Parts: sequence; C-alpha cells; structure tokens
Amino acid sequence: MSYKKSITVFAPLLFLALFLPGTVFAQESANCLTCHSAMKGKLKTSGGALIELNVDTEKFRSSVHGSLSCTDCHIRFSDNPHSSPSASVPHQVLSISTKISSKYGVDPVAAAACNKCHEEIYNKVLGSVHGRNIIDKNQTDGALCLDCHGSPHYITSAEDPLSKISRKNQVETCGRCHGDKKIIEKYNLQENVMNSFQESFHGRKLHLGHMRAPVCASCHNSHDIKSKNDPSSPVFGKNRLQTCGKCHEGANEKFIPAITHRPPGPIPHYAEKALILLTMGVFAFVVLHVLLEAFSDIRDAIFRKGREE
Amino acid sequence: MSQTDTTTQQGIPKEIERFDIIFRIQHIVMFTTFLLLSFTGWGLKFAHEPQGLSSIWIRIWGGAETAGLIHRIAGIGMLLDFISHVFYLVYLFATKKMTINLKTTVIPLPKDVFDVIQNFMYFFGLSKEKARFCKYSYAQKFDYWAVFWGMFIIGFSGYALAFPMQVSYIIPEFTTGWIWELLGIMHSDEALLAIVFILFWHFYNEHLKPDVFPMSWIWITGKISTEQLKHHHPIEYDLLFPQEAQKDKKE
Repeated sequence: MSYKKSITVFAPLLFLALFLPGTVFAQESANCLTCHSAMKGKLKTSGGALIELNVDTEKFRSSVHGSLSCTDCHIRFSDNPHSSPSASVPHQVLSISTKISSKYGVDPVAAAACNKCHEEIYNKVLGSVHGRNIIDKNQTDGALCLDCHGSPHYITSAEDPLSKISRKNQVETCGRCHGDKKIIEKYNLQENVMNSFQESFHGRKLHLGHMRAPVCASCHNSHDIKSKNDPSSPVFGKNRLQTCGKCHEGANEKFIPAITHRPPGPIPHYAEKALILLTMGVFAFVVLHVLLEAFSDIRDAIFRKGREE
Repeated sequence: MSQTDTTTQQGIPKEIERFDIIFRIQHIVMFTTFLLLSFTGWGLKFAHEPQGLSSIWIRIWGGAETAGLIHRIAGIGMLLDFISHVFYLVYLFATKKMTINLKTTVIPLPKDVFDVIQNFMYFFGLSKEKARFCKYSYAQKFDYWAVFWGMFIIGFSGYALAFPMQVSYIIPEFTTGWIWELLGIMHSDEALLAIVFILFWHFYNEHLKPDVFPMSWIWITGKISTEQLKHHHPIEYDLLFPQEAQKDKKE
C-alpha cells in the first residue's frame, strides 16, 4: 500500500476512533437517563432524605460534566432499586465519603467522587473553614462543593453568567448562608456583610457591570477560605496589604481600612446625620422660597395688576 | 468686574457688563462638568435602583468603566476651574481691578438676612414692598457660595476617592478607621444636596421665573440691560447712575 493510500484509509478510521469512548459513555448514561429524564418529583429514601429524581438531559449534556458517565460519580448506591455497579470505590473517595457522611446521608460516595478529578481543590476545601466545619464539627449546613456550585449535573463554567459562582451570581450564592440570620447567629459570623458589600464602591460597581470590580472570592479566596480571624486568611491583618494590592498597586496600611464589612463608626454615622439635616434644611428653604415666590407672582398678576410700575 | 461703561452725554447706556469673558468661560466649564458629574455620579449613588434602571443609565454613559473615567475627568476639570476662579479673583484684587464695596460685593452681609425676611413678608402679603437688592441679591449670593461649599466638601472628598493611594500617604494615622467612610458619605450626600439645590434654586431663579424664562442671557452675553438693572438691582442702579436716580425720584 502506498503512503498516500494508507492515509486515505486510516485517517477516517482514526477520526472515528475519537468518538469511541464518547459513544460508550453516552450509551451508558443514556440508559439511566431513559428513566431519570422522564421522572418528576422527589423521592423519600429509607434514610428519610428527599432526593431529586429528575435529570434534565439537555442541561446535563451542556454542562461541564456532560461527557461523564453517571457511574463515574455514582459509583455505588446505598439504596435500591438499583443494583450496585461493580466498580470498586477508590480509596481516596471512600475515605472522604466517611468524613462527609454526616452531611450526605444518601450517597456520600457520589459527593466525595468529585475528588477523582478535582483532588487538589477538594483537599483545599476539606482544609478550609467550610470543610473543617463538616469534618470536625459534623455539621450538615456547612458549605461543600454542591452548596456553591449547584447540582453537579448542571455545573457550567464560572465564566457563564448563569453559573452560581459567576461574577453576576457569586455574591448572592455566598449570601444564601452569610446573609441568613440563623446561620450568622449559629456560627457567630460577621453580620451585615451582604449589605455592607452592596453599599460599598466595590458592590455598586459590580452591580453596574464594572469588569474589574471584586466579588467575594476576590478578597476572601474560594476553596481554601479561612476565617477572618485565622492568621493565614487573606483578609487577616497585614495580609490585606497583599490582597488589596492585587488590584490597588502599592496598597499601604492607611489605605487598607477603606473597605471593611464593619458597620460605620460614630464619626461617619453622625456626620451623615448632620449632612442629611443640612440637606433637608436647605431643601426646605429652597423649595419653600421658590413656591412662595411663584405663588406671590401669580397673586400679583391677578390682584395687583397695574399697581406695580 | 470693571464698569467701563459710564454715563454718556446722551444719557445712560442701554446695558452694562456684568461678567467678563473669563468669568463666563469659568461658568460654562462649571456647568458642563457639573452636568457630567451629576449624570455619571447619580448612577453610582443609586446603583441598586430596582429594575436595574441605574445599570441601563450607566450603559448609556458607556458602562461602569467609561462612566467612571468621565466622572474623574470632569471632576478634575471642575477642580481646575474652581482653582482658576480663585486665582483670577486674587489677580483682580492685586491689580485693584476689583475692590470690595458693600453695595457691589458678593460677600454675604446682614442686609441679605433682612432681605430674605422682607421677601418672605412680601410673599405672605405682610408687606407691599419687595426687598431692594444691591449688585447681587441674596439668591445670587447663595448660588455663588454654594459652589464654594460644594468644592470644599465634594471636590476634595472626590479627589481623595479618585486617588486614594496618593491621598493615603498624607492622611494622619488616627483617621484611617473612619476617614474613608466619611469621605464617601460627604461626597455622596453633598452631591445630592448640590443637585437638588441647582435643580430648584438655580433653575427657578435663572430659568423658570417668569421674568427670565427661558433663561437669563447674562451667562453668554455677560451684559445686563439698564432697565433690568433698575428693576432687579435698584441700589446698584442708584450707585451707578446717581443723576438718573435723582431724576426718577423727583418725577
């Protein structure tokens, strides 16, 4: 066979080969989706948890995980009616699944399976204040992957405006816990963080579509988030010099107190009250004067016509 | 301001110069930058307006970045305009082209308070006489000094907010806990006051008032007719044309 001929034969074969694994995965997922794309509503498991049965095929396919097979994450099931897939659970995933089982009673293995591909990030999260809250304190309301990224079936790129962690939605996503009074009280979190951000120049600019305005993670980091009292937090003490300096080159110690989530102190508070009083006073005088003058002009035009000059 | 036109043999001139070309240019720069600053700043102050109205408004101004740039450039323009005005005043005083005279000065005097009271009495029908003004009525003095107040409060806080890094080197250590917040409040609240003030006071007195509608043309011609002078600034008229004033009295 000549060189040219061999190309014409093998090239299409090689091209087809590209589709091989994809087709296999798709077929396998398709089997699950035959039922789960049609099923509606939630099901109560024997453990008492409500699980969503429906998977939107189209949304799943267009998500970043669309090419994965269901059993990549759902390695085994704790509940019927499914028989467990034969695949063995990787050691790492198994070890994480036991740590997070307090939060994910139904299928901790699936929740831990993110670690298969996102090992580095998953370990960061487990070491973060969010992760430790689940592992060490066995809390169920602390944040793990899905709490910020949404359902793993529909995760899209962070650049996608619909993503729960996009610049457009991130503040709201964090606010689901950090603006929740019960959670703030329970964990003794800083109050009023959502409001103070929205009122700040950062928050206003972000809302108006400024491309370089920061979101929560810009200053607080994301996966390896730390308590603000942790000396390794990017917003702890002098660490802010570097954090603010990411955007504000040359940030110094007198500059960094400019942005905080703390409520305003007495000086700005009373200064604002005084300025509002001044504004209202001037406003009252000006409007009263203008209206009275206009009315007196009308009065003169009607009753005192001819008397003036 | 020089009063070059004096009484001619034919009698009195038809109009006299009120504001020279420098003052007129300063006024044009002032209101142009003021409008730009108000329009772009409004969007930021009320960024969280429902229905995203402010987002739409800011998009009209080219997006948040562009609107911010316009705001900064206009702000610097206004500050320079203000500084040029102060320097021009210093020059006029130094060369004796302008002197302080109680009947022509823009400095607030006790008479202005009495004028306000007099006018309010007139408005309520308690007096048949309106206040008689010198060269500048209290309304005009208020207008003029409001700009000074605004420049000190809004101008300097705005400069600090636009160049926080540079300003952070000169602010004292003990203020850092509250000064940034205070600067933001000063800038934003006083800007609203300035807009409200201009919208009601300046617009009514210099645009909407029946006497001047659609506007007082002095801003562009710099001249006021002697007829208007006699009517609106009688004390200055008496000062400039004492013989005419005498004649009028005899009649």
